[in-house]
Amino acid sequence: MNPRKHTPKTFSGTNYSVVWSEIVKNIKILLAYPVVIVFWAIFPVFWFLPFIFQGEAFVGGLQSASFAEIAGTPNYVPFLVVGAFLNSYVLASLWGLGESMRREAYQGTLDYLLASPCNKAFILIGKALSESINSTLFAISQMVICVLFFGLEITIGAIMPIIFIIVLLIAGLYGIALMLAALSLQYKQSHDIAHVLDYVFYIFTPVRYPVQSLPFWGQLISKLLPLTYALIAVRSIIIMRQNVFFIYQEMLYLLVMDALLIFLGFYLFNWVEKKTKKSGTISHF
Amino acid sequence: MEKTCTEHYELRKVPCPSGFTLANLKAELRAIWESNVKEWKIELAYPISFLRSLIEPIVFLLPFLLYGLVLVGGRYSENLKQLVGTGDIVSFIFVGYMIMGFIGTAVWAMGFSIRREQWFGTLESIYTTPTSRLSLVLGMALHSTMHQSIGTLLEFTVIYTVFGLALKIQGILPTLVVFALMMFALYGLGIFVSALGLVLKEGWIVAEGLHSIMMILSPVAYPLAVLPNIVQQISLVFPTTPALMGMRSFLLKDYTMEMVGNVFLHLLALDISWIIFGVAIFYLTDRYVRGRGALGKY
Amino acid sequence: MVYDSVDEAYSIQTVNLTKLFKKRRHFGIFGFLKKRAKEKESSGREKDITVALDHVNVNIRSEELFGLLGPNGAGKTTLVKCLSTTLLPDEGTATVNGFDILKQATMVRSSIGLAIGGERTLYWKLTAKDNLMYFASLYKIPRNHAKERVDELLELMGLSDRADERLEDYSTGMRQKVAIARALLHDPPILLLDEPTLGLDPTFSRQIRNLIRELCKKEGKTVLLTTHYMEEADEMCDRIAIINDGKIVAIDTPTNLKAMVKETELVEVTCYNLPHNIEDHLRALCPNVEVITALHGEEEKGNPSRIKIMGGSAEKYVGTVVDALHKKRARIVNLRIGVPTLEDVFIKLTGAKLTEGGSPEE
Repeated sequence: MNPRKHTPKTFSGTNYSVVWSEIVKNIKILLAYPVVIVFWAIFPVFWFLPFIFQGEAFVGGLQSASFAEIAGTPNYVPFLVVGAFLNSYVLASLWGLGESMRREAYQGTLDYLLASPCNKAFILIGKALSESINSTLFAISQMVICVLFFGLEITIGAIMPIIFIIVLLIAGLYGIALMLAALSLQYKQSHDIAHVLDYVFYIFTPVRYPVQSLPFWGQLISKLLPLTYALIAVRSIIIMRQNVFFIYQEMLYLLVMDALLIFLGFYLFNWVEKKTKKSGTISHF
Repeated sequence: MEKTCTEHYELRKVPCPSGFTLANLKAELRAIWESNVKEWKIELAYPISFLRSLIEPIVFLLPFLLYGLVLVGGRYSENLKQLVGTGDIVSFIFVGYMIMGFIGTAVWAMGFSIRREQWFGTLESIYTTPTSRLSLVLGMALHSTMHQSIGTLLEFTVIYTVFGLALKIQGILPTLVVFALMMFALYGLGIFVSALGLVLKEGWIVAEGLHSIMMILSPVAYPLAVLPNIVQQISLVFPTTPALMGMRSFLLKDYTMEMVGNVFLHLLALDISWIIFGVAIFYLTDRYVRGRGALGKY
Repeated sequence: MVYDSVDEAYSIQTVNLTKLFKKRRHFGIFGFLKKRAKEKESSGREKDITVALDHVNVNIRSEELFGLLGPNGAGKTTLVKCLSTTLLPDEGTATVNGFDILKQATMVRSSIGLAIGGERTLYWKLTAKDNLMYFASLYKIPRNHAKERVDELLELMGLSDRADERLEDYSTGMRQKVAIARALLHDPPILLLDEPTLGLDPTFSRQIRNLIRELCKKEGKTVLLTTHYMEEADEMCDRIAIINDGKIVAIDTPTNLKAMVKETELVEVTCYNLPHNIEDHLRALCPNVEVITALHGEEEKGNPSRIKIMGGSAEKYVGTVVDALHKKRARIVNLRIGVPTLEDVFIKLTGAKLTEGGSPEE
C-alpha cells in the first residue's frame, strides 16, 4: 500500500531548461530597464577619461617615456582603454552574479528558488550565462566606442584570441562570484565582501598601471587575480601586436586558476546552502 | 442614510509650530539633526560597512597617485608646474581628491535619501509629518558631510604618512571657507538630484552619470586647462571647479586677496543659483509625484 | 472649521473627491509593434484610466470610529492617502480637522496620526525607542516631552521591556504596535488607520482592535479605519461606509446597514458536488429571490461549497432550493437560515462578494 496520500507530479523538463529559463528571466528583467542598458553600454569607458586627462596634464602629450620603461609601451591611452574594457567584466561578475543571491533575497524570491526541486547548480549556471551575455554585449559596445574615439586598433586576427582570453577570464571571475554568492547566503553583509573584492581588483590589477609599479607584496597579490593575466595577454595582442604563442603562459595560468576557482565556488555554494538551511537564516537580509 | 447630528462638536486645536517663526525654525533644525542621528544609528548598525566606507576614499585615490607616479617617473612634473604653478603631483592630486567624497554627498547621499526611505517603507510616514521634506534631505546631507569629513581626515593621515604632502598652513583658513561655500552649492545640487530620484525609478543612473560628469568636468585629478575651452566654461557651473582651483591656490601656491575674493564671489553666486534651482525642482517634483500617487512605490 | 446646517462640525469631510490613475500596460519585448486600439467607454473616459476614487463624499464626526469597508482595490488606501496629503486628488477636496488638504497640508499633517498595515514602515535596524524618538522630532515634539511620551506609549503597548531591541527582532504584531504608537506620538485628534490588523494573528488583532476602541471612546479621538474584514468593521465601527470601485455605495451604522437586508432572510446551504451552473438554474426556479451566490470550495480537499440565497421569507423558497439541489445530485451537509451579515449587505449593494481575502468575486 502506498503510504503517500498524494504522489507528487513529475514533469518532463530537464535541468537544461532551468538554465534557459534563468537566462530568459534575467534578460527580460534587464530589458525592463532600457536606461540601464544604455548606461552600461557607454559609461564604463568614460570612467577612464580622468586618467587620460591626468596623463595629458602631467606629461604634456599622449606618450610617456617613463611609462614605456615599465609598461613596454609609451602609449598610455590604449593601455588604459584595454583596462577599462576588461574591467567591466569584473564589475559584472562581482555585482551581477555575485550579488544575485542577495537580490533574490531582497525580492523575496530566494526561498522559492531554493525550495524548487531542480539542481541549484543549474540556476547558478543560468545566472552566470545571462551575466556573460549582458557583459559581452556591453563590452562590444564599449569596444566600438574605444575604437571610434580613442584610436584603439584591433586587427581581425586578434579577435579570436581576445575572445578566448575573455572566456577564460569570465570563467575565473565567475568562480570568485560563486564564492561571493555563497557567502551572501550566510553573511548578510556580503555586500561589504563584494566591495572589498572590488577594492582588491581596483588597486592590485594592472587596469590603470603596470603590475611592476606596485611594491613587491602588491605584485604577489596581483598574480593571484585572473584579471592580471587577462590584461597582460590582451595588451600583448592589441598594443604590442604579439601573436598568441607569446602569451601561452598567461593562458595557462588562467586555465589552472579557472579550474580551481570554479571548483571552489560550487563547493562553497553547496556547503553554505546546506549550512544556512539548517540555521534557517537563508533568506534574511 | 446619514443621520443628522444635533450635537455640537468642537474641532481640536493642534499645538504645532508652523510658518516663519523661531519655534518652527528650531523644530526644523532639530528634525535635521535627528535625521542625521538616525542615519548614524543605522550606519553603525553595520560596523563592517562603516569601517569599509572610511577606507574607501584612500582606495579610490591610490590608483590616481600610482598612475601619476608611473607616468611622470617620479613626483615632480614640469608640465604640471607650467600649467598651474606647482609640480608636486601627489599634493596636487590629494587636494583634488579631498572633495571627491563630498561630490558623493550631493549626488548619492542626498540624491538617494528619498529613494532609501521608499525602500525602507518609511517615506509615507515621514511625509505625513508636519516637518518640511527638505529637512529630511538636509539631515542626510549633514550625516554624509560628517561621514566624509572623517574619511578625508583618515585619507590625509595615510597619504601624509606614506607620501608626504607639501601644503601651506596659511592656506587652511581660506580653504575651509571655500569648502563651506562649496558645500552650500552642493547641497542645492543634492536637493535637485533627490527630486530626480523621486521621479526616476532608476535614479541611480542619473546619480552615477552626474557623479561621473562632475568627476570629469571638475579639476579633481588634473588642471582645468587640459579640458577643451567649451568644456571649461561648462565646468564653471559646478561649485567643485572654483572650489578646487581656489583650494589649490591657497594650499599649494602663494595667493592674493583678490584671488580669494574672486573665488568667494563665484561660489556665492553658485550657492544662490543651485539652492534656488534645487528647491524649486524639489517642490515641483514633490507635487508631481503626489499627483501620480508614486510616493509609496519603490 | 467645516459645519453642516445644524451646528455640526465634521472632523473629516470630503467633497467630490476624485482620483484617477493611468494604467501602465506592458506587451513584452516587441510590444511597441502591437497595435493598441483605444476604445472610449460610454462615459467618455478612456479604458486606460483607473478611477480609484469617484466623487467621494464622506463626513466623519468628531470622536467617531468610522469604518471604510471594501475589497482590495476598492479605493480605501487611496482615500487615506488623499486625506494624509501624500496623494493629490484630481478633483474635489477635503478638510481634516477643519484644514484644507490642498491649501493647509502642514496643519492637516499635524492633526493626523497615520498607521498603515504591512511589514515595512519603520526602521528595522533601530530600536523601538529610537524609531519613536526620531518620529517625535518630525512631529516637532520637544525632546524632553518626547522622551516621556515615548515611554508612555511603549508602556501602553506593553513593549517597555523590549524598547531597546531592534525592530528586526520583533514579531509582526509588535511592529504594528510600534507603528500605532508612532501615530499617537503627537496626540493627534484624528487617526487614519489603514488596515491596521493586516497580517496579524487573532491575538494581536484583538489587542489592536481593543486599543483602537479605547482611543476612540476614552481619549475622544476620531478614527477612520479601513478594512476588508467585515467582522472587524461590524464589531468596532459607529458608522461604516461601504466602498467599491471608488464609489461609496452606502454609509450608515452597522445595524442600519444590516437592516437593509432585514426583511430578507438568508439561507445558506453547505454541500458537496455543487454544479457550476447552479446559480442560473436557481434564479430560473426562484425569480423573486434577490441574491443567489455560489461559493465553490475545494471539495476534493474536504472544503464544501456554499450557496447563499437572500430574498424575502426563507420558507417560500427553501423547499424549492433543496429539491433542486437534490435533483442536481448535490450532497447537502448543512442548511442554515439566519440573519444577513455585512458581507450580505455588500453583496446586495454591489453584486460582488467580500471574501476573507478581500477579493471581490462576482
